This record gives sequence, structure tokens and C-alpha cells, in this order.
Amino acid sequence: MAKETQSQTVGAKPSPVVKWLLIGLSVLFLFVMLVLPLITVIQEALRKGFAAYREAISDPDAFSALNLTLEATVFAVVINTVFGLFAAWAVTKFRFHGKKLLVTLIDLPVTVSPIIAGLIYVLTFGRQSAIYPFLEEHDLRVVYAVPGIILATVFVTFPFISRELLPVLEAQGTDEEEAAAMMGAKGFTIFRKITLPHIRWALLYGIVLCTARAMGEFGAVSVLSGHLRGQTVTLPLQVEILFGDNKYMPAFAVSSILVILAVVILIVRSIVEYIGKEKK
Amino acid sequence: MYIELKNINKSYGSFKASDDVSFGIEKGKLFALLGPSGSGKTTILRMIAGLEKPDSGEILIDGKVVNDIPASRRGIGFVFQSYALFRYMTVYDNIAFGLKVKKVKKQEIDARVKELVKLIGLEGFEKRYPSQLSGGQRQRVAFARALAPNPQVLLLDEPFAAIDAKVRQELRSWLKEMIQKLGVTSIFVTHDQDEAIEVADEIIVTNRGRIEQTGTPIDIYQNPATAFTAGFFGVTSELEDYKAFRSFEEVEEYDRAIIRPEFVKITKKDEVQKYKTSAVEGTVERTAFRGNCIEFTVRCNGSILTARRELDEPRVEVGETVDVFIYRIFITHGDEVRLLPNNAIREESVVI
Ligand SMILES: Nc1ncnc2c1ncn2[C@@H]1O[C@H](COP(=O)(O)OP(=O)(O)OP(=O)(O)O)[C@@H](O)[C@H]1O
Ligand SMILES: [Mg+2]
Repeated sequence: MAKETQSQTVGAKPSPVVKWLLIGLSVLFLFVMLVLPLITVIQEALRKGFAAYREAISDPDAFSALNLTLEATVFAVVINTVFGLFAAWAVTKFRFHGKKLLVTLIDLPVTVSPIIAGLIYVLTFGRQSAIYPFLEEHDLRVVYAVPGIILATVFVTFPFISRELLPVLEAQGTDEEEAAAMMGAKGFTIFRKITLPHIRWALLYGIVLCTARAMGEFGAVSVLSGHLRGQTVTLPLQVEILFGDNKYMPAFAVSSILVILAVVILIVRSIVEYIGKEKK
Repeated sequence: MYIELKNINKSYGSFKASDDVSFGIEKGKLFALLGPSGSGKTTILRMIAGLEKPDSGEILIDGKVVNDIPASRRGIGFVFQSYALFRYMTVYDNIAFGLKVKKVKKQEIDARVKELVKLIGLEGFEKRYPSQLSGGQRQRVAFARALAPNPQVLLLDEPFAAIDAKVRQELRSWLKEMIQKLGVTSIFVTHDQDEAIEVADEIIVTNRGRIEQTGTPIDIYQNPATAFTAGFFGVTSELEDYKAFRSFEEVEEYDRAIIRPEFVKITKKDEVQKYKTSAVEGTVERTAFRGNCIEFTVRCNGSILTARRELDEPRVEVGETVDVFIYRIFITHGDEVRLLPNNAIREESVVI
């Protein structure tokens, strides 16, 4: 629940100079750090003309990278929506020991460097791991394979949905659910009729954030991928590979796909935010 | 007894929220659970409802032990302290919810909701959401929602707490009338003694997780059984040294001497008075108009006490020296309470 507090500065009003200076600095910073790179990406991508651009993005490797990115994103969003709901629900609606620990754990992926997350999975599922023989026997490949990439993406994006839900669920309390339960409503009915309407917008917003983060994930995925072209390479990794091969134009062309996806998500985000506020 | 609690204990960690709680409620009666904040009222209510499990002891409803019966099958309607109306449902859907869950036929639901909406006087408001209602209206919707599935027992947690004074007065009488009309056995929680006295058939006084006393409002008011009840009911003042007031039996060991305004008679110096020899002098410190009487704060023998006079009696001014006579005093020692009458009154009745 984003609370819009119109903070009125009491007493001393900052002078207009300070005001414009601050605004100017912010705009300049945003321009240098965000807008300029974006423009550069598009510009570089289109430097050799539109035909070359189209050729670069219709390259089979780029296409498979896009596919893999979308696949990992869908998995991450679905899995994290389900587990995010469970976790947020458990934390806000029940009393139990170790609740603080659970809340801290939810935040872990944000605090741990993605590279380390990737390495943890390599150690857990790789050749040196205790369960590797078991995986081998059942022909399950995690490291340097698609499951590893999905795993890494899920890990990195885990907090995004539950973090959005926690404050909303917390603010709602348990009274309404208790009232419904007293009248004989079962768990799922309570969730569908009472809880879901309440968290709908926060959930959607969390999904949008999760999607954005999942598509851009690089660090953990990079460790687990093995960079098998056309197989375990996501869009960000593809960009890295192209860049490493000094293919600047194609690298920027593939980047532009990510940029376009990001812009689409930003627009969706704004719409969700806007409608969510209207409904309040 | 329709509802019965037997030796209920409940702790949160090391804190005892219910300490050997036992009481019984007859069918169709309206009981109040009255006590200061944190005395365990809500805890008792939630245990009866099945929202909380007692650590030990038995809860019986209609002769059956319900300890292991889930809340949804106890046949209880519950009105929450904050109402807990479903904020994403209309008034209609709120009231219909309990019936829909029970898979009652659509026409029956419709008929029942209409009946209840009429009962609570909110016809035409069916399509509104809780946020579009006033506090009093919300409370009535919560009441109707709890009643919809025809519960045998109705539990209300501070039903009037969130409502402003004037509407509260109206709602009190309304609620009492409704409950009497429907004949549903009810318990409501309050920490307002006036409310309990006015609305309830009987009052259960709670303090620090224990039941202090159970009885009719008059009974509890006139014959407090414990030191706590004596000090909790009515507007009370405490006497620093009651022996400084004349004609009282001397009690060796005591903790507090408590009086209520109706125990005190203040008389102007030029007025005739019956017990002049047993009165002591005091100074009026404050006066306050109370609508049907005037309330005085009087300093007397080092104590501050509250007294009242009728509106048509001669005016007493601030700073005036008056005679103070005390009819009786509650003397407490530990948990015990004793009523000490003024011997001047007793001697007189013996003489006559
Ligand atoms: N879930 C809980 N966990 C820990 N302590 C609790 C819990 N619920 C209640 N308590 C404690 O038990 C005591 C009694 O609480 P309860 O809610 O029954 O009081 P109450 O009489 O209803 O008070 P109020 O008039 O303020 O509502 C309080 O001291 C409270 O802090
Ligand atoms: Mg309470």
C-alpha cells in the first residue's frame, strides 16, 4: 500500500535555487546513467541500417536465446507467484517460531551476490555433489543445462512477489479471514473471496517486477549456463558472447530486444499501478 | 446452563490470560463480560467461539463439550471488535456469505438477507460497500451477518467501541431489543460499566485473567464481592484515613477505604441536618454540572471525594466550607471487601 504523504515543509521553505538545482541534478543524473545508454543501444543497433538489424535479431542463436529467456521467465514467475503467496501468507496469517528467520530468508536472494547463488547451485548439483550420481542415474542435468538456468532465475527473483504481498497482507490482518472461517468457509474459498481481492494489485505488481528481473538476470545464470550456444544461452548471455566476439552491432541489436521488453514491462507496470490506485 | 466454562486456563507464553475461569449462562440471556483492558475478555470470547484453544478446562454449549469442535461447527455468530466486514463485498454479499458457504438455496438466501436488512433498518443499502457506510451502519451489518445463519449463540466483542457517544446510546437499546426479540443467548464484551449495567441481564467481572464476580448489575453494584469490584464500579473516591470520619467501627487491618458519590451527603452550614454530630468539615474545590445533578469535588480530612446534590437544592459555591457526612464505606483487605455502615444511622434506628 503505497501511502502518498504530501509532506509540507513547515517553516523554512527551500529557496527556488535549491529546488531547481536538485531537480536539474536528478535529471542530469538520470540522463547520463539511463537515457544515454538506452539511446546508444538503439543507435548502435541500427547503425548499419534496418536490414542488418533484422538479420542480426533473426539469427537462430538470438532466437533461441529469446526463447530460453522467455521460458525461464515464465517458470520463475509461476513458481515465485505460488511460493511467494505461500510464504507471505504463512508469515502474516500464522504465529510460529522462526518467523523472523523466514522473513530474513525471503530477502536472502537480494543480499547474496547472484554469482554466489550460481556457485551454490553448481556445488549442489554439479559433479562434486553428493546427489550427482542420483541425478546422473535418472539422466537429470541441472548444471550447464536449462533446469539450472531456470533454478538460478527462480532463486534471484524469489523475493519480488512475496515482498510486495507482505505489507498488504500484514495491513489487512486476520479478522476477515477469521470471520469467514467462523461461518464455515474453507481455506480456498477464503483465499478466493476474501484475501485475493485484497492483494490483487500488489500481486500483479510483484509479477511485473519479477518478470523484469527474471529477463535481465545475468550473474547466477552465467555461472550455471556453460554458454552452450543455441542451448543454454539467454538473451543477456547472448549479448555478452557477441560482445566478446567483437560483434558490436549484433550485440546491440540483441540488447535492443531486451530494451523493448523492458519498456513494455514499464508500461504494463504503470498501468497496473494506475488502476491499482484508482481502485483504492 | 446453556453455555458453561469449567476451570478454563489459557497462557500466552508465560502470561496467564485466563486463570481458572468458570461461569455459566442460561439460554436466551444477554451477558456482559466487563473488565479493564487486558483483563482477558477477548480471550474468553475467542475460546468460546473456537478461535483459540484453552490449555485446560472444558467449554460446554447446550450440554456438549465443544473443546474439539471447530469454530465453524459450533453454531456461533461472532461480531468482531473491528467488525471485520468483508470490504470487497457489498452489504448484501456480506450478510449472505455464511449462507452461501453452507450452500443454502438461492431463494432462501435472498429471503433471509432481505429479512435481516429490514431488521437492521438498512433497506436500500444492499449494494453499498462497507467503506460507504457510517460506523453505526457497519456495526449493524456485522450484527446481521453474524445472525444470518441462525446461530444459537451470539458473541460480540466491544460492539460499540468504535462508535461515537450519541449513536452508541441508540445502538445499545437497539441491540438489547433485537437480542431479546430473537432470544439468542449472547455475550458481549465491554470495558464500559455503564454499558454493561444498561444492556446486560447479568455481568461477569474480569480482572487479570480471573473472574471476580458474576451477578445482576444491581447485585454487583450493591454487593461487590471482591476488593476489585468495589473499586471498579461507579465513580469511586478513596479515603486517606477513614477513621478521621466519625462514627465508624474501627477496623484493625485494611488496605483501602472506598466510597461512591451516593455514600456522601454534603450540607451547607445553614441547612438543617440529621447527623450533624457525626459530620466533618470539608472545602468545595470544584463543581461540575452533570445534567441531572451537580457534582462536587470536596477536600475533607486530607482526602478528595466526590459528592452530588440535586439541582433544586440551594447552591454551594467553590471554596465554601460544608459539612460532610458519610453513610457507608467499602473497606478492602487483600481480595476481601466489607461494607461498613455509619453507626450514627444504626443507633438511630435502634432508638426508634
Ligand atoms: N495472541 C496473543 N499473544 C500473546 N499475548 C496475548 C495474545 N492475545 C492476548 N494476549 C494477552 O492476553 C491478555 C488478555 O488479552 P485480551 O485481548 O483477552 O484482553 P481484553 O480484556 O480483551 O482487553 P481489551 O479491553 O484491551 O480488548 C493481554 O495482556 C494480552 O497482551
Ligand atoms: Mg479485547
